[in-house]
Amino acid sequence: MPQQQLNTREANLFRTVVRHYEDKQYKRALKAAEQILKKNPKHADTLSMKALVLNAQGKPEEAFSLAKDALTIDMKSPICWHVYGILYRTNKNFDEAIKAYKFALRLEPDSHQIQRDLAVLQIQMRDYQGYVQSRFVMLKARPHMRQNWTALAIAYHLEGNLPQAENILKTYENSVTSAPAKTDLENSEAVLYRNTIIAEMGQTERALEHLETDAKHSLDRLAFMELRAKYLTQLGRKEEAAKAYRALLERNSEHPAYYTALTSVLGIPADDESALKAIYDEYAEKFPRSDAARRLPLDFLTGENFRTAAKSYLNLMFDKGVPSTFANLKHLYSDPQKKATLPTLAEEYLAEHQGGQDGKGQANGDSSKGKGAALFFLAQHYNYYMSRDLAKATEFVERAIELDPQSVDFHMTKARIYKHQGDLAKASATMDYARSLDTKDRYINSKAAKYLLRNNENEKALATMGLFTRAETVGGPIADLTDMQCMWFLTEDGEAWERRGNYGMALKRYHTIFNIFDIWQEDQFDFHTFSLRKGQIRAYIDMVRWIDRLREHPFYFRAALDAVKLYLTMHDTPAGTNGVNGTSGKNANGEDAAERKKALKKAKKEAQKAEREAAEKAAKQDPNKAGAQKGKEVEDLKKKDDDPNGLKLAATTDPLGDSIKFLLPLLQFSPKNIEGQLVGFEVYFRRKKYLLALRCLSAARALDPENTRVQEQAKRLREAVGPTLSSANAKLKEVIESAL
Amino acid sequence: SPANADLEDEVQPTAKSAEDRKAAAALSKLDTHGGDDDDDATPAREVDQEAVKNAMSALGGAASVKPGEEKKEVKKVKVDAADVALLVEELELSKAKATELLKAHDGDAVLAMKAYITPVF
Amino acid sequence: MDIRPLRPDDIPLIQHANLENLPENYFLKYYLYHALSWPQLSYVAVDVSRPKRTPYDYPKIVGYVLAKMEEEPTDGVQHGHITSLSVMRTHRRLGIAEKLMRQSQLAMVETFGAHYVSLHVRVSNKAAIHLYRDTLGFKTEKTEAQYYADQEDAFCMKLDLSPIREQIREAAAESGTKSTKDGA
Repeated sequence: MPQQQLNTREANLFRTVVRHYEDKQYKRALKAAEQILKKNPKHADTLSMKALVLNAQGKPEEAFSLAKDALTIDMKSPICWHVYGILYRTNKNFDEAIKAYKFALRLEPDSHQIQRDLAVLQIQMRDYQGYVQSRFVMLKARPHMRQNWTALAIAYHLEGNLPQAENILKTYENSVTSAPAKTDLENSEAVLYRNTIIAEMGQTERALEHLETDAKHSLDRLAFMELRAKYLTQLGRKEEAAKAYRALLERNSEHPAYYTALTSVLGIPADDESALKAIYDEYAEKFPRSDAARRLPLDFLTGENFRTAAKSYLNLMFDKGVPSTFANLKHLYSDPQKKATLPTLAEEYLAEHQGGQDGKGQANGDSSKGKGAALFFLAQHYNYYMSRDLAKATEFVERAIELDPQSVDFHMTKARIYKHQGDLAKASATMDYARSLDTKDRYINSKAAKYLLRNNENEKALATMGLFTRAETVGGPIADLTDMQCMWFLTEDGEAWERRGNYGMALKRYHTIFNIFDIWQEDQFDFHTFSLRKGQIRAYIDMVRWIDRLREHPFYFRAALDAVKLYLTMHDTPAGTNGVNGTSGKNANGEDAAERKKALKKAKKEAQKAEREAAEKAAKQDPNKAGAQKGKEVEDLKKKDDDPNGLKLAATTDPLGDSIKFLLPLLQFSPKNIEGQLVGFEVYFRRKKYLLALRCLSAARALDPENTRVQEQAKRLREAVGPTLSSANAKLKEVIESAL
Repeated sequence: SPANADLEDEVQPTAKSAEDRKAAAALSKLDTHGGDDDDDATPAREVDQEAVKNAMSALGGAASVKPGEEKKEVKKVKVDAADVALLVEELELSKAKATELLKAHDGDAVLAMKAYITPVF
Repeated sequence: MDIRPLRPDDIPLIQHANLENLPENYFLKYYLYHALSWPQLSYVAVDVSRPKRTPYDYPKIVGYVLAKMEEEPTDGVQHGHITSLSVMRTHRRLGIAEKLMRQSQLAMVETFGAHYVSLHVRVSNKAAIHLYRDTLGFKTEKTEAQYYADQEDAFCMKLDLSPIREQIREAAAESGTKSTKDGA
């Protein structure tokens, strides 16, 4: 049944509702909606708009039920379906949202807004075919807007239809009658975008030609120069390519790829050390402050050449007191000769600088320079795993500290040495001392917190972090660190809680990291339209392609692997039993299930206490506080966490089932990381999903056939499968037998 | 008016520092559609309407796939319900995914499973 | 060390470097906003000497400059703004911050026709003030009271970019073409 019509005054009011909603003036929108509903309580579109406003105010349940009511009143209203789709979308049910939009669009095929919302969801969900169709319709409706052409080209490009993508861009260019202004950034970027598509099709010759004609005045000079150099190289036009790379080095002499490209197009043989070195020397001389020109030759020089170059590089770095000297050279240690040479050069430097009357090497009194820097280098050298001698490392770091007792860097390295000695308590105390030497520096503060966590001191670590988090954040430092997506802390904190046997807190942190990745995935949403407005298409394409592999990130991998392993432990030693499963009954710290139970109980108590305190604090607050506070309270309400200590997570009866959500992205996005395959096997093996266990095993075997864990898993699988196979489905049997 | 003052409150930024307010303001503006769908938005450059029309009709052939026909050449492969159930159970796939996998292997469950457990790298 | 423009997939580690070094932190989306609005302006310094441990390792970011154009300049003059700049403590004294800044400034002029660049700095941050004022030539415009969350004041600093504009004009004249950068 269609809804009743509004009179003119109310129709105007309805438009006001929409406008206020779009301006995020929710209270005003609500007020106007109520005015309409007073006279027309069954006006479906107004009910829908009201639902939309409620949703924006953080009341999704009310919103949904209202939107449903509206739909029952008028199933044929495009507005009602559109709103229904928006509600699904904001609640992240994208598939249902797409369905609703399509319904709405069927009822109102010419609605630009609905079409646009549908298109955005299609690209968000990577429905490229759907996106092509939507953008085609949108272009047809508004062909005078360049961004509609660009958007269709993007759709084709992402779908993999490169010729059509280029064709669309070209068609627009050909239909424009006026020349673009030279400062027209949208044009400049669209032309470069087209150029990269041509190159992606492998048509380098044409790409170069297009670049040198159509993109000649590109506003992105660096991109222009880099693309040109690349094309010239690919086309074998070496002389011009060399010139192009020289021009790039003039711009930025700290980009190693330019040097390698230059020496390559110049045809210098890889073993002609002096010819190679001559190129770098040229730039070292031209740019006295360039680091790359001096350091990179150390990678390829050998023997006496290396010694000479390394000596002059080290002398320069020690004189300047560059703290990263060792970090920047340690990759050379894979070469035994270089590994042996570098410390002797540092010793030589020390001997040469021994004579200073002040005994501190440097006239200006900065002890991080000169002798101090050389001692620091040697301390790090002996602390490094490839050249470790912790007694010597200690000796050098103590000498450095004697020279400058207040040096944060020296104490930091001392803490690392303790860590490598296995003394986590001393390491942590030393790092905290280093922190106390410069309390305004967040870097050393972060390191101190990390070392506290390594020593399982979660509370102290959080308090340390709290020295730099925003004081006003409700929920304290952990809320701020969660808000600010501080992955390293959340991971290390979770791992420390796990070592302490507090599985609830550990799971809480791992789940938080999982959720942050969801937020990141969602973050791209606004950019599907925003980037079209900004015209920075190449950057947008880069983002889309990156988001497609977002969860391969080591931040995800580490936390997810932790979570899966913990769920495995929980499965093997259910709380309440006493480690009946033998060896696996103990967790990393040797605490058994009984202890875990104790920890859970304690955590529960702490949670109750925190809740009480929060309630008290809220009760104390002045109810008549000014409005600004109110908005904040609404926000805080939205954020309220009903399981801050992970008790519910830890109380799961199906840890293996819970592990799957962490596991699947590990296997999908980092299949070549054997650790993921190994835990995948363990999960599926326990779930008796032998085919899936086999899948992980095959992958692990392909990655590292000699791995002893892989071999052990294969043995277990054969033993487990054997007796069950005879009764198994014949097809299943065939697959397993052929693969084992 | 006092009523209005109350209404304005909801847009008060809650961030304390100027730095935070700047970031919050920038992010809150990302999703405004300003311009891209306004009919009165003037294009920066003159477009030859005739050329556009011709180009559009030339494109028509390439992108005129209608909704419903979107899936290219749907294979007419018969799949056994028991096989679908087997794949759902053993590979923990959704029914749709399992069906798709079977169809991709001409309905042969053994081939489908073998392919699924073979490493792709 | 490798100094190059920022890519979207650098962002998690840029955010990491920011959280490690500075008290002013941002959501990932705010970095995306920079990377997708002015991709030419932000640069990273990458530690390229670390061997990859898995095929999925990302380059370690040891320094970054996150920069933007002012969207609605109150003075009506096109100009850039430095949102955030930091270098890991372990990688100081290599001139990384200065090099990052110079790359960004060049692009501000080339791509967006910026006339000057502005930034905020804590009044107590001596090292940063030294870099901006003495090394790069910034001038202090004014002090903004309680700019930061902890109530500390900020110096608002500015650097005139006309020397870069001049350089570009000369280079263009030398190569025989007219300057294309100065639409005004």
